[in-house]
Amino acid sequence: MIPAFIIARLTVREAVRRKLVAAFAFITLAMVSLSAWGFYRLSHTRSITSGEVQVAMPQAFILFMFMFSFVLALSASAISSPAVSAEVESGVLQTVVTRPVRRSDVLIGKWLGLVVLIACYAIVVVALEAVVVNWVSGFVPPSPVLVALYLFAEGAVLLTLVLLLSTRLSTMATGVVGVALFGAAWLAGVVGSLGATFNISALRTVGQVSRYLLPTDGLWHGAIYYLEPSSFIARRLSESAGEAGNPFFALAPPSWQYLLWTGVWFLVVLAIGLVSFDRREL
Amino acid sequence: MSPTSSAEQPRISVSHAGRLAVMASTNGSAKGRTSSPAVHTIELRKQYRRTCALEGLSMTVGRGEVFGFLGPNGAGKTTAVKLLLGLVRPTSGETMVLGAPVGDRETRGRIGYLPELFRFQGWLSAREVLLLHCRLLRLARQRWQAEAGRVLEIVGLSERGDDKVAAFSKGMQQRLGLAVALLGDPELVMLDEPTSALDPVGRHQVREVIKQLRERGATVFLNTHLLEEVEQVCDRVAVIDKGRSVATGTLGEILGHESSVRLKVTGLKEDWWLKFADLGRWAVDGDWFVVEAIEAAQVPELVRAIVSLGGDVAAVVPERKTLEDRFLELLGPA
Repeated sequence: MIPAFIIARLTVREAVRRKLVAAFAFITLAMVSLSAWGFYRLSHTRSITSGEVQVAMPQAFILFMFMFSFVLALSASAISSPAVSAEVESGVLQTVVTRPVRRSDVLIGKWLGLVVLIACYAIVVVALEAVVVNWVSGFVPPSPVLVALYLFAEGAVLLTLVLLLSTRLSTMATGVVGVALFGAAWLAGVVGSLGATFNISALRTVGQVSRYLLPTDGLWHGAIYYLEPSSFIARRLSESAGEAGNPFFALAPPSWQYLLWTGVWFLVVLAIGLVSFDRREL
Repeated sequence: MSPTSSAEQPRISVSHAGRLAVMASTNGSAKGRTSSPAVHTIELRKQYRRTCALEGLSMTVGRGEVFGFLGPNGAGKTTAVKLLLGLVRPTSGETMVLGAPVGDRETRGRIGYLPELFRFQGWLSAREVLLLHCRLLRLARQRWQAEAGRVLEIVGLSERGDDKVAAFSKGMQQRLGLAVALLGDPELVMLDEPTSALDPVGRHQVREVIKQLRERGATVFLNTHLLEEVEQVCDRVAVIDKGRSVATGTLGEILGHESSVRLKVTGLKEDWWLKFADLGRWAVDGDWFVVEAIEAAQVPELVRAIVSLGGDVAAVVPERKTLEDRFLELLGPA
């Protein structure tokens, strides 16, 4: 077996053995059950019209998915921050990297294993949520596959950055910096949206630059777009001129240039991580 | 080879011919590689910002030797081991391990390593840790179980092979570390303080393992500050202090041929010993005459000479220098 796959398999196995997967499964089921109850109540209430329900359902669904995207991003940071630093601190890595494997194999293996976990989480959460909401309310999100893909990409972006930090910083510092950067990028996205709404170019620039520096918010907006039925987008725009500034609304999907940049971002950050780990003294 | 001391010669000299032989072997065939030293360093130096951890270490460890790397805490022993394994990069100097430059991937498959800080995945069983390393070593799959069983047997963990490492005591984790280092019959086994967490029985077992490795023809690089360990198993020793080597050689060479002898002599004038002043350093200790730094071979000659002068030799007590004495002497005043 290729050494990177040995390490990837070990990483996934660790998540299973240390009950990370079980904990996620339990919490996710609890949250999905709660959302099922909420969506059932929302779609069967008599206090609002069926037209209002059609607007409220996607909005509520987006808010629920935001919570999952938040959990996914924080989890990505939490599981990748100790991936290298904790094993360097404990000495576990010393016996691994002195075997006939490249350090790049070890880091890519860890990245692959963590990415698999994040992908599984994104797929399971979106599939469960879509099925449950459709079952209790009849609402069908337009492109659940693309939603899962964007949520996964958002988590993978943060995971890749935190893994790079983990090759140099302590576990605690890595986790804190990862979460702080994610929060800052989301806030910068909101600031950028406000800048667009009120036509303040400085604020708009903050949002645009932050989406390139850390594409988590840009990808989250991709997920939002594919959660919105086209009738919902048209209706929201016609009702309020300021909707473009809503952080839970996306008027258009990410451009292909932006997606290309995100691909380049992955490659560059991963390459810096490989060089950093290769040069790290153990 | 004669022992060198810091007073006589601060660093071990390495012949130019030796260097050429090592270099030639790296370009040559597998046969050339096996004839190269197990470890060869030239002026190896490691600087951490303001601290110099290793200052020009030159040494050669032959194939099949049990080489003791001795020094006090903070002498630079672990830094040297990490440099030999490529875990840290040297500031300057050259290093060859098993005839290849440090870090050579193929060569790493022929080295077993027990780190000073021995930690393994606590959520795996001991056997699973060994199987993981069998995979990383690229051993044939059909050998994995047998190999894991073999090394568990050697380190006395057969009964606990399926227990989680997290449940192991520190001593058992060190045994597991030794088992990991023994996987795949490595040509060079680097043991960094291998008995630091072991009880006397465990220490004895480690010494037995080292002797078995020597019988198999493997080279053992034993990094330790336990003199007893070195005295019992090492063929050659290097003593390092403050980042530089202060002596190297066999134990006999390190201890030297000189010894001390205490004599109880009666029937002669008070200054009789002045005739023999050139044999060593003389001192009077009560009824005893003490001769330090005397060649062991000269003691019978001295006794015969005293008798021929008409003296009665009531007692002759040879006093051989211990490794601890020599170690403290080499390190100088604290």
